[in-house]
Amino acid sequence: MASLGSFLLLAAFVVCAYAATSSFIGGRQRSARLIESSIGAFYLLTALMTMASAVIVHAFVTENYSIRYVDRYSDSAQPLFYKLTSYWGGLDGSIMFWVFLLSVFGSIAVATNRERQRELIPYVVTVISCVQLFFLLVMVLNKDPFTTYLTQVPADGRGLNPLLQNPYMVIHPPSLYIGFVGMTIPFAFGMSALITGHLDDSWLRAVRRWTMFAWIFLSLGLTLGMIWAYEELGWGGYWGWDPVENAGLLPWFTATAFLHSVMVQERRSMLRVWNVTLVILTFFLTIFGTFMTRSGVVQSVHAFGEDPELAMMFGIFMAIILIVSFGLVIYRLPLLRARHELDSWASREAAFLLNNWILLFCAVFILFATMFPTLSEAITGERLTVGPPFFNKWMLPIGLMLLLLTGVGPLLAWRKSTLSNLGNQFLWPITVAFITGGILYALGFRVWTSGVCFVLCGFVLGTIGQEFIRGTRVRQEATGADVLTSITGIVARSHRRYGGYIIHVGIVLMFLGFAGEGYKVEEQVLLSPGQQVEVGRFVVRHEGISVRDDGQKQMITGRLRVFEEGEEIGMMYPARWFFRKHEQEPTTEVAIHRTISEDLYIVMAAFDMQDQTASFQVTVNPLVNWIWFGFGIMALGTVIALLPEQAFSFAASKIPDGAAITSLLLLVLVASAPLHAQHVESAQTVPTVPRSAIERELYHEIVCMCGTCGRKLIGECTCGTAAMMRDEVSLLVDQGKTKEDVFQHFITMYGSQEPLAMPLDQGFNRLAWLFPYLLGLSGVVGVGTVALRWSRREAIDTPLPAGISNTGDAQLLARLDDELRDLD
Amino acid sequence: MSSETSTNRSSFRPWHFFVLGALFAATGAVLRSSNTTPAATILVSLAIGAAALCGLALLRTLWPLVAVDFDVESTAVSNRTRSAVEREKQLVLRSIKELEFDRAMGKVAEADFQEMTTRLRSRAISFMRQLDSDTPGYSDLIERELQSRLASQSLSAGPMDQATEAGGAECTCEVCAAVNDPDARFCKYCGASL
Repeated sequence: MASLGSFLLLAAFVVCAYAATSSFIGGRQRSARLIESSIGAFYLLTALMTMASAVIVHAFVTENYSIRYVDRYSDSAQPLFYKLTSYWGGLDGSIMFWVFLLSVFGSIAVATNRERQRELIPYVVTVISCVQLFFLLVMVLNKDPFTTYLTQVPADGRGLNPLLQNPYMVIHPPSLYIGFVGMTIPFAFGMSALITGHLDDSWLRAVRRWTMFAWIFLSLGLTLGMIWAYEELGWGGYWGWDPVENAGLLPWFTATAFLHSVMVQERRSMLRVWNVTLVILTFFLTIFGTFMTRSGVVQSVHAFGEDPELAMMFGIFMAIILIVSFGLVIYRLPLLRARHELDSWASREAAFLLNNWILLFCAVFILFATMFPTLSEAITGERLTVGPPFFNKWMLPIGLMLLLLTGVGPLLAWRKSTLSNLGNQFLWPITVAFITGGILYALGFRVWTSGVCFVLCGFVLGTIGQEFIRGTRVRQEATGADVLTSITGIVARSHRRYGGYIIHVGIVLMFLGFAGEGYKVEEQVLLSPGQQVEVGRFVVRHEGISVRDDGQKQMITGRLRVFEEGEEIGMMYPARWFFRKHEQEPTTEVAIHRTISEDLYIVMAAFDMQDQTASFQVTVNPLVNWIWFGFGIMALGTVIALLPEQAFSFAASKIPDGAAITSLLLLVLVASAPLHAQHVESAQTVPTVPRSAIERELYHEIVCMCGTCGRKLIGECTCGTAAMMRDEVSLLVDQGKTKEDVFQHFITMYGSQEPLAMPLDQGFNRLAWLFPYLLGLSGVVGVGTVALRWSRREAIDTPLPAGISNTGDAQLLARLDDELRDLD
Repeated sequence: MSSETSTNRSSFRPWHFFVLGALFAATGAVLRSSNTTPAATILVSLAIGAAALCGLALLRTLWPLVAVDFDVESTAVSNRTRSAVEREKQLVLRSIKELEFDRAMGKVAEADFQEMTTRLRSRAISFMRQLDSDTPGYSDLIERELQSRLASQSLSAGPMDQATEAGGAECTCEVCAAVNDPDARFCKYCGASL
């Protein structure tokens, strides 16, 4: 089987090379034979990759450990489900899976656009084939997943990393890959538009759906990653600004920017160069992300390990992408001139421009901050850490600005908004924002970042609500239908717009969840059986530790009885699992008590079997579930935006009256299901040691140096090293040391700035602190000059004669009105 | 065209062969491997199915290269400009709709709306006019092409075609003035007898 697999990969490589060359030559010489043949080869590649995938999954299922890859990432004790998904559990397989997905997507894209985009298709095949060729080359040269052991076939495999044996981790990588790979399709169409010079908007139309499709999967992948980190890594949070997480986030930002700016091009024929650039950047960042996670240039918990040879291959490939694609953009610059001017700063175009700039800022900033440790090590030779505090410092205000724009954008009209309609538009959303703020203030919420976020959420929701209400009212006036039909009507007619609004609602809910972080409460305590601790509104009582074994792993489980405001709400079982062959890295099984308003999140950090004591990290995470819920709404909005028009007319005719209200009622009923309640007994409460402010700060400014947790903050990490470092910090603080002294102590102890979550603002590292400012400044200057140039440019379509008098025109006007009516 | 002629003779098409082959092979594989898990069996069948697809795709790759009567014309350049204008027009129409909606929502000032809608409408009309005027342009083009081809054919074929040429020129429909074949008895456009 292994040799069959290797042969298939080789064959795929040859076929792919043929597809790339024949389609290019065919496109140049307009030879229909060659083009048709290359498309056939393109399909052939898909078939070959499907077969190869079936072969490797078969090897996993039949436990063929003579194949190295199978041996490394699976063992016989694994359930079938994880055996199937071990396919993408490692580096080699994930590259192969990448090619497989790309070939499938490419074939679908080519098959559906073959007639509509005849000129583009040959080059689309060329571009996609070239990308595939690269990955196939990587596989054929040094990452062949079908490599076998020459001698001594192991009896059993080494097993998939236990951290990855989690249902979320099974869907997370493929959905991220789908997102990444899907971005290749827009790139291929963009490139072929550049090559052929057919730079009207038709290529955009071909890729819009693809981009949205890839975008939602990228979002899904990121969200699943967050859930996974939250439930499996057990550090109480969901986003640690880990390089691998960032790698997925980078193209997400540029793709989001593209999805917004594409509207400007469609509506106003502006931003044409910008859109092509964004498509190229997005694709480049997907490749860069792959490079980052697979070549070992950055340190991360889930990077695949160092591989200089792979790093070089990726480096060359990325250089080629950049040179060729931007070379083409420059070559085609004359064809890409905007046809319109920017009329006013109070216009939606301007809002989009700003939004694009901010999104790009995010992408570049995160890229820089992620790469800074590598950069610093290369230049000054000192290892350091750029941790969450550094990212949060910038991403927090930027995120809030984006949220504000989410609310402002839809209120602005295209071209220009006058003062009076601005007043008319902003009145209600601002009122909602003020009411939200007032209520929060009255209730005594005082964390300003979260407060601002809540207020902005109110503002955006006000905007969206107003859009829906006014739209419905307009529609009702026009058609005289009832409310529900009118809502369906507006959503159906401009489903992209309203789908977009629904996505924004999802984003708002996610922001609500993010803002909840400001009210997080966490405690770390050592409890012996019978002792209890109070965290927020909850009391957690330790009842003992039990041990079980299911053949694949040993499970150490803590039994905790939990009370909420005196009422018992049940037992919770945080655990550590020791997988066979991976005893050195036990997994953390978090116990989570979920409610709509908050999560009680308990991790068993350490335990002592003899006296049954265990140390627990107990966290109350307010609003965190809204993030996942928000994603659900986002997905719904995307589906609405993606659906073809016909689907809506069907739905509109099929939805019975009152369906929406009934389902809403059902939702409320389900959500408010009463929780089980019981009485409390008194027990010995362990007082949580109040820590000084400086100690708390230091907990979040120093990272754990254990080397396996991926530089978690010591306040969050549950490993022994972190506990030791925490004790050390407490000791130093007790001795009256200042923050700087503590930093200095750790720097001398570890010989570099690595234990600090943020590099000190001195020497070369000053660059890290200056860079965001520089970036912001250059962005402002860039956007400003572009906008100035636009607003000065003469309008190309000069006003046409206003008087339309002769009969022919009247006829045409009547026809125009007819067609406009038909458009409804 | 080639595929039509090759398949018209018998209704057996290439993909039939591959599907049948895959089914037989999969059945064989399943029968042979009796003591494996269902998952493995399914995967083997899948691999065989993919192999059949490979065969089919290989045929699809090679066929255009070797087929004698490969239909080149069908892949000739389409009338892209026309569809581009059509799309452009649709876009303008949508913009007008959107603008009207925006006005109804109170997002555009009346003066702005008037100015923008006039501009958009005149753009739409110019597109419509272009489309209207394009249509006869296209048929003219086709007609001219046809004439020139006929002429070149008649040159090569000799004087014999002279008569047909003359006859062809004369045979126009009295009702709709369309040009018909010289031996036509009914007009191919309006159906009136000639």
